[in-house]
Amino acid sequence: MKEKQQRYEALVHAFHADIYRYAYFLTREASIAEDIVQETFLRAWRSLDKLKDEKAAKSWLITILRRENARRFEKKQLDTVNIDEHEIADHTFESQDNLDSADLQRLISKLSEPYREPLILQLLFGFSGEEIAQELGLNKNTVMTRLFRARSQLKEILSKQYHPGGKQNG
Amino acid sequence: MDELTFRRRVYENPDTTDPEILRAAAEDPAKRLFLKETRQMNQRLKTAVNVDVPENLAHRLIWQQSAQQYNQQRRKQRWYVGVAASLALLIGITSSVWVMTPSDRLEDYALAHVTHLEKELPGSGYQTDLSLVNAKLASFGATLTDSIGDIEVANFCHLQLTRSLHVILNTPAGKMSVFVLPDDAGKELPDSFGNDIYEGKSFGVQKARIMVVGSKGADLTPLTEKLKHSIQFSA
Repeated sequence: MKEKQQRYEALVHAFHADIYRYAYFLTREASIAEDIVQETFLRAWRSLDKLKDEKAAKSWLITILRRENARRFEKKQLDTVNIDEHEIADHTFESQDNLDSADLQRLISKLSEPYREPLILQLLFGFSGEEIAQELGLNKNTVMTRLFRARSQLKEILSKQYHPGGKQNG
Repeated sequence: MDELTFRRRVYENPDTTDPEILRAAAEDPAKRLFLKETRQMNQRLKTAVNVDVPENLAHRLIWQQSAQQYNQQRRKQRWYVGVAASLALLIGITSSVWVMTPSDRLEDYALAHVTHLEKELPGSGYQTDLSLVNAKLASFGATLTDSIGDIEVANFCHLQLTRSLHVILNTPAGKMSVFVLPDDAGKELPDSFGNDIYEGKSFGVQKARIMVVGSKGADLTPLTEKLKHSIQFSA
């Protein structure tokens, strides 16, 4: 039991931050992200014996998290409003060079899930096209197309909301 | 390589080391600039996705697992006590043998959580307030309209398989815990319960069941009344 406890704690320390970040972009709501991360690690603890290879831990946790997120929609018990989606419509950026991380987070959150998820897997975990395809159960070509479209959409949103020369157009 | 194919492949993976892409960029200044700009943007995106992680998250993930394990062990211990008692029965000591049966009662889980309260309280500097509690209460369709006191921690926890919001408060009568549970999960709860150290009350409010737990003998009524007045549910 002690060994299992140590394995679990090592898993928490190594992955909780990136797993939380992934959950954050999946749910776009910090408190929900925290909640499903808790559920994810609780499930990971219960089935820790099934994890034979520590190298596979990251993608194992991602799989559990994605299932937890899907379960959230099955329950349909949440009654929350996504503030970010409303906020971004009126948000303009004075200069692409002045975009800070919060602006970019809002931009990423605006992408629809099929484009957002592969992009996050690539940015956060450095996954290759094959690894993303395996994680999401898609073929590699689909993943590559989605990554391309995700970046194209970011560019498009930016060019729509970017006011050249700052305030002179606004 | 034509412009479109080049752009597509760079967008698919700005960090690509594909020799074909690198060669195309070396030969054409426009492509070189595109690759450079896309990589710069990608670097900023990588920084942006590193959002702040809630303080003490690792600590809480380890705590919730310890609490679950503690409950499992308690059940096992009861099982051993049960076997010992059965053996005692077999050898003929039949008078007033107390056979403890495993408990699945939610109130016992709540008391176990309160017993381990100290572990849940983070080391220092962790602040929570009404808006954070309300963000978490939203998953029960509930909100608190007024302050219910000095909130120390608000965290989801599992009482057996039931997801509950556990709020810990500092009150004039010492630390108290509030558990908010879905109505259907909490319908079997007794109105009052307790053990040697703690006692609790439970009551229903529209779509939820609430438990308030404090030290044995502490007056739970002021907090109970505040909760009843302050909690509202969306239609």
